[in-house]
Amino acid sequence: MKKSFLIVLGFLFLLGVGFMPATSHAAKTLKVGIVDTYTGPATAFTLDVLDGFKLAAEKINAKGGVLGRKIEYLTRDDKFKPDIGLNMAKELVMKEEVDVLMGTINSATALAISDFAKAEKVPFFVTFSKSDRINMQKGHRYVFMMSEHSEMAGRAAAEALAKKPYTKYWIAGDDYEYGHSIANGVWKHLQQLNPKVKLVGETWWKVGEADFTPYITQILAAKPDFVIVATGGSGMVNFQKAAKATGFSEKVPFYQHTAIEASTLAPQGKNAPVGVFGTANYLFYYPNSPENRAYVDEFKKAYNRYPKVGSLYGYMTANFIAEGFKKAGSFDKEKFIDAVEGMAIAGPTGKIAIRPCDHQLELPMYFGVTKVDPQYDFLVGGDIQVVPAKDYMPTCEEVKASRK
Amino acid sequence: MDAVWVLFSQKVLSQILVGLSRTTILFIVSSGMSLILGVLRIPNVAHGSLYMIGAFLAYSISRLFGGGSQGFWMALLLAPLGVAILSLIAERALFQHLYKREHLMLLLLTFALSLIFGDLTKLVWGAEYKSVPVPQVFQGFVTVFAGLPLPLYNLFLLAVGPVVAVLLWLFVNKTKIGKISRAAAVDREMVSAVGINVSLVFAAVFVVGCLLAGLGGVLVAPTVSVTLGMDHTLIMETFLIVIMGGLGNIWGALIGALIFGLSQSLGIMIWPQFGIIFPYLAVVIVLMIKPTGLLKSTW
Amino acid sequence: MDKSFSGKGWGLVGIAALILLFLLPAFLPRFYIYLISLMLVYGLLATSLNVVLGYGGVFQFHHCVFYGIGAYATALFLTKTGAPFVVSFIAGGAAAAVLSFLMGLITVRLSKLYFGMLQISLGSLVWAIVYRWYDFTGGDDGIHGISLPDIISSQKGAYYFTLIVTLISLFIIYKIIKSPFGSVLQGIRDNPVRSGMVGINVKRHILAALIIAGFFGGVAGSLFVVVDHTVFPDMLFWTLSLEVLIMCLLGGWFNFFGPMLGAAIVIALRTFVSGYTVYWALVYGVVMIFVIFFLPDGVLGYLQEKLQPAKGKAVTKEG
Repeated sequence: MKKSFLIVLGFLFLLGVGFMPATSHAAKTLKVGIVDTYTGPATAFTLDVLDGFKLAAEKINAKGGVLGRKIEYLTRDDKFKPDIGLNMAKELVMKEEVDVLMGTINSATALAISDFAKAEKVPFFVTFSKSDRINMQKGHRYVFMMSEHSEMAGRAAAEALAKKPYTKYWIAGDDYEYGHSIANGVWKHLQQLNPKVKLVGETWWKVGEADFTPYITQILAAKPDFVIVATGGSGMVNFQKAAKATGFSEKVPFYQHTAIEASTLAPQGKNAPVGVFGTANYLFYYPNSPENRAYVDEFKKAYNRYPKVGSLYGYMTANFIAEGFKKAGSFDKEKFIDAVEGMAIAGPTGKIAIRPCDHQLELPMYFGVTKVDPQYDFLVGGDIQVVPAKDYMPTCEEVKASRK
Repeated sequence: MDAVWVLFSQKVLSQILVGLSRTTILFIVSSGMSLILGVLRIPNVAHGSLYMIGAFLAYSISRLFGGGSQGFWMALLLAPLGVAILSLIAERALFQHLYKREHLMLLLLTFALSLIFGDLTKLVWGAEYKSVPVPQVFQGFVTVFAGLPLPLYNLFLLAVGPVVAVLLWLFVNKTKIGKISRAAAVDREMVSAVGINVSLVFAAVFVVGCLLAGLGGVLVAPTVSVTLGMDHTLIMETFLIVIMGGLGNIWGALIGALIFGLSQSLGIMIWPQFGIIFPYLAVVIVLMIKPTGLLKSTW
Repeated sequence: MDKSFSGKGWGLVGIAALILLFLLPAFLPRFYIYLISLMLVYGLLATSLNVVLGYGGVFQFHHCVFYGIGAYATALFLTKTGAPFVVSFIAGGAAAAVLSFLMGLITVRLSKLYFGMLQISLGSLVWAIVYRWYDFTGGDDGIHGISLPDIISSQKGAYYFTLIVTLISLFIIYKIIKSPFGSVLQGIRDNPVRSGMVGINVKRHILAALIIAGFFGGVAGSLFVVVDHTVFPDMLFWTLSLEVLIMCLLGGWFNFFGPMLGAAIVIALRTFVSGYTVYWALVYGVVMIFVIFFLPDGVLGYLQEKLQPAKGKAVTKEG
């Protein structure tokens, strides 16, 4: 008889714990709920997003906030697991009653939260996830894509590669959705732009693969002109290390999305391979404009490191949230969405807008090749070509077609 | 036709050779687990965390000593010791009180420790990717078999593997501690009845096992990016290898690592999309034929 | 040895608890209803694991394969076939039972640690297939936005459905544990050799228990689909299996309700600690160490001891 009583007590006790208000404020705030991965290797990228967001939010709050309210952000760790991410998103919306949701680097989680955001009619800004399904097939009014998706990245790379003399291509990469998506994106468009290219083979390894040498030897044996390497996350550095160790980077030119980005190059110091082609959405040294320099200085002062691409996503998101509500004149979410569509905001890399038909942030893409720079302890991207957003985003018709 | 066959087998040999160097890391970490699971009967889920801490310590130590080759050798020497000390603290503070408990409680404890170690790593080193450079002397590669490259560092790993194996075998079979621990694994009461402090012996074995995990972490560091989450990459493979090879059996761990590593790299050659299932298939087959592992186990 | 729930427990208090559970949506905010739904799902999952773990002494290290397969079966039926909801729901438990039977045939030959390891290997095989078979299962993206009948697609509806199914399942499991079958199972746990000598077909008995455990694990998976409208390959990954194992041990695996309490604690910790600190894993780990050292029979075991010290001072399993 006592046991079931205990169980009930146990349940009630736990509920009581949950009733404790996590945040109790006298003044109302503009609440942004951030669900992201702060556990494991992805954390290296997500902290950049958070810090970029914080930098912008603090500036905005110092100037009085948004319509009299300060921006308050709540972070929740999804541990790279979609069910936990969804759980956290629900907590943020249902319990904390956030005005806006933001996150996450895991595409599966982003898709799940996007569904939820749609049902709850809460705007959801996706940062860092790269699945094109987020705002193409599965896009809707309440989801905003603040990073490039893999389809776009592929197109941008194809634009640049099509002009090069290589014809025999090999595709290799991490065997998961992102890897295939990037590779497809590049290859599909490359074929359209340059009909002379041929695919001579493909290699796919498991995500998190640490030893690439067997695959590299396989690829070298086939003697392609160029290799499209579709790695993500820690695979980027691992592959570059292996490419250097086996001399692969000297023998066969290859491309990786984000190969020239600081997240990939900075950890390797002076030992990163030279001559690797890559694309990136943000480089702290290019363009060498006053806006970019000012941003880099601010970021360095606040966080004692160079800003990487994630910081741009976070920074722009904060600004769009603030400006959106300001333009809407109220905290009504529907008015906010209407205000943000088509809005352009000046950031470190120029004025960037959110396209209305698919809520895509129109970031310019930089294509370059890794090289040594005496100013820095690590390699940087050189020979930068800028691919403007309109040249590599899918058209609104294509987006609409994908949603049928 | 002959030329094709020659090329094919050279490619396969090349794959094998390269796969073998990865096996070294698997073997070293697994042998540590084999000792701990075989002698102390602890399913050490924290083994992966110690491997990760070994890699991070290698990063810090190598930077302390200039970040170049000297840094690496110092790290190779000191980082495993650091891990050993950490494990000694954990053993004396926590484990030694629980040896008489259920296996599952020990599993719970090591799981709790893996959580704590994981967060400690985040606390101490932060989330950014770290990198340990390959020491000067091993930079570059040799060409074996039809112009295909084998990085010198991989050759180094290939050499280290057997050395560690022999040293371990000597430890377990020829030293006093080794022999006592094998006896204690089978019959703890008997050994302590003879007047030996079993608790200290267990501590020694535990520390050696953890040191091996740390050593694995140091050795792998120059080839990968040192990141949070490294603790999860090896842990399941390690358990499976140890079970395949026979608990507490060093050569078993070696064979298990070989089977696991080779089935993986060859599997991917054969069926790329589902290549990752081959190692698990191998484990299933081995366990169905020899349920207690391929070689003699301690329990 | 039998510390399980005594019949007298279902007194007035038990019924009051039931009424309370049914009335909760009237006064609790939406989020808590969702949270309790999750606790029920994981509680059922942990209890199904405990059928073989606590009552059978089986080292069921990869129970979540059945959970995941149940969830995927229901999800795939709902999204790919026009089958009515009830059929899709039952398909979950059925698929899990079948898998449990097949895997059990292979693993039941071994015991203890080896059983667990073999199960992990087989389970990882299943996981790898689900994870890689992108065209069919959605691969690492999972399946989302699964549409359910209106009655149960709302938070409240999902809660009631989950509550009813969980209560029925718990009742059935309880009856099984209390039946002769259950007694024999516990006898096998305590002394497999003697049980064999008395004429019991140990392996067949354990296989039957595995099927039961797997079936209810699959039901829990289908309930997850109802609560969250999504499935992911992570549901079949060994880390989740380990976490569910922890739930059983934390709550008290010699108690019928121990796993449910363990599940509730873990879910609560997971949801709320993250709001306070980035180092939630550290907190979780420290809490577990506390439980290991001071509450060796799990939380429920401890509470029980405190309130019924004289009774049931049972012999622990292994000296």
